[in-house]
Amino acid sequence: MERDRFSRCHPSVTFAFFIVAIGLGAMIMHPAYIIVSGIAASSYYCLIKGYRGLKLLVLSVPLFIFITLFNPLVNHQGQRILAYVFGRPYTFEAMVYGMAVAGMLIVMLLWAGCFNHVMTSDRFMVLFGGLIPTLSMLLTMILRLVPNMMRKTAQIAGARKAIGRGVGEDDPMKKKASDSMNVASSLLSWSLEGGAVTADAMKARGYGAGKRSSYEIIRFTPSDLVMAVGMIMLFTAVVMLIAKGGTAAEYTPVMNITPIGSSGLPGFAAYGIFLMLPTIMHLVEDLQWRISRSGI
Amino acid sequence: MKRSRAMLYFVLVILIPLTLYLGIRLPGRSYYLLSALVAVEVLTPFFMTFEKRKPAPRELATVAVMSAFVTIARVGVPIPSFKPTFAVILLSGIAFGPETGFVVGAMGALGSDFFYGQGPFTPWQMMAYGVMGLLGGLAFREGSPLKRKNIVMAVFCFTATVLVVGPLLDTSSVFITISVLSWENILPLYISGFPVNLTQGVCCFLTLMLFGEAILEKLERVKLQYGMMEDTDGV
Repeated sequence: MERDRFSRCHPSVTFAFFIVAIGLGAMIMHPAYIIVSGIAASSYYCLIKGYRGLKLLVLSVPLFIFITLFNPLVNHQGQRILAYVFGRPYTFEAMVYGMAVAGMLIVMLLWAGCFNHVMTSDRFMVLFGGLIPTLSMLLTMILRLVPNMMRKTAQIAGARKAIGRGVGEDDPMKKKASDSMNVASSLLSWSLEGGAVTADAMKARGYGAGKRSSYEIIRFTPSDLVMAVGMIMLFTAVVMLIAKGGTAAEYTPVMNITPIGSSGLPGFAAYGIFLMLPTIMHLVEDLQWRISRSGI
Repeated sequence: MKRSRAMLYFVLVILIPLTLYLGIRLPGRSYYLLSALVAVEVLTPFFMTFEKRKPAPRELATVAVMSAFVTIARVGVPIPSFKPTFAVILLSGIAFGPETGFVVGAMGALGSDFFYGQGPFTPWQMMAYGVMGLLGGLAFREGSPLKRKNIVMAVFCFTATVLVVGPLLDTSSVFITISVLSWENILPLYISGFPVNLTQGVCCFLTLMLFGEAILEKLERVKLQYGMMEDTDGV
């Protein structure tokens, strides 16, 4: 798989990025911040996913509309009453609140989508292999076993069919259920016995005797350090602003959104730059590639 | 074993209330962040005990197979929300004990999310699946009044799915989508989650009712035959 500049960073850097992006995204209710996070997340998501990324954006529109319209049905606080639904006030403030909640949810989903693309299971393992080696090993084994057991399932079903014990489309439900249970039962025995063989092999190869190596060698490079320091500085600026209440926003019962103003501008800019880092890195690399190619 | 209990009590009695107390004082809408933190705090003692215990390769392999089986029960069964996932976790808990059952459930949830996609719900899902294994292990431990019979396990699994694990899963959507926490806001989400929990429960009930004892016997036999859960590898 092709990895862009941001995905090639050390997993600790990318993991920290996503924790901060999703964490702050779930915390800050200020509309300007939600919009910035939305722009950053959707631009990076589209860069790495291409056409499929746009599809998710289009699909999130009905979700946005649904939550926006649904929120006033359960939240009746607010000043400007638009209508009465089931005898309860349907307010403008609650609707705007619904927009904010929907925006936050979609932003979180988009960041989670980027996370899935960047933090592949092998990078996950590099990150946690040193910290929690046993559980990382367990996760590796599970992720390997799933496709392995799927193949075994097909083999068992094929073997059953070959001796005339297979099931067809029009067999009764009861027969199908008991057949799939027979397959599952064989699969379980086979896999558990396979597990015993794996365990013996692990023991023979000295599992647990020393530090484990990983599939891909990923080093913490100077550029990762630069990235980490920059991220910490930007993050600190945002946290300072949050602590001062610069990102406060209330919707119901009275709408009260703190204007960004000149005092909040540095923190707001820091938030935007932080979240745009993956997009910027992707575009800069793209540009460099084009320039170096046009030089040939 | 004793240290893990102490750690669990520390988390439940001190850490979680402290998180909630401090979290409520955070500005803005921090429910989701708080709830994810609490879920992670519940996971930590179980995971750390497993990590510190340094399980032998045979035990590790068994836990991996059972977690992969949980993942397959969720990913491989083609009917939506009619999956025997919880039945598999429950049986793991019964056969291998509450702590291992928790790890099997939680890792099965994490593993299946690598196929379905991770999301803000992942920590909650891991906790809820883990709780099913924990409950199974505790309720059916040696000398418990509950007998390891098809009907008992089936009823237990159904009840636990509808009353405990399903609502736990719905709670994650409460924290992710609701703007103002109040009973009248939360109730619709639990009600809309109820049919899904019900079909899950029915699927698990049927699975255990028909094949519960048979699968359990299989697990017990393999455990004995290969000394799967023994520290010394039986060699």
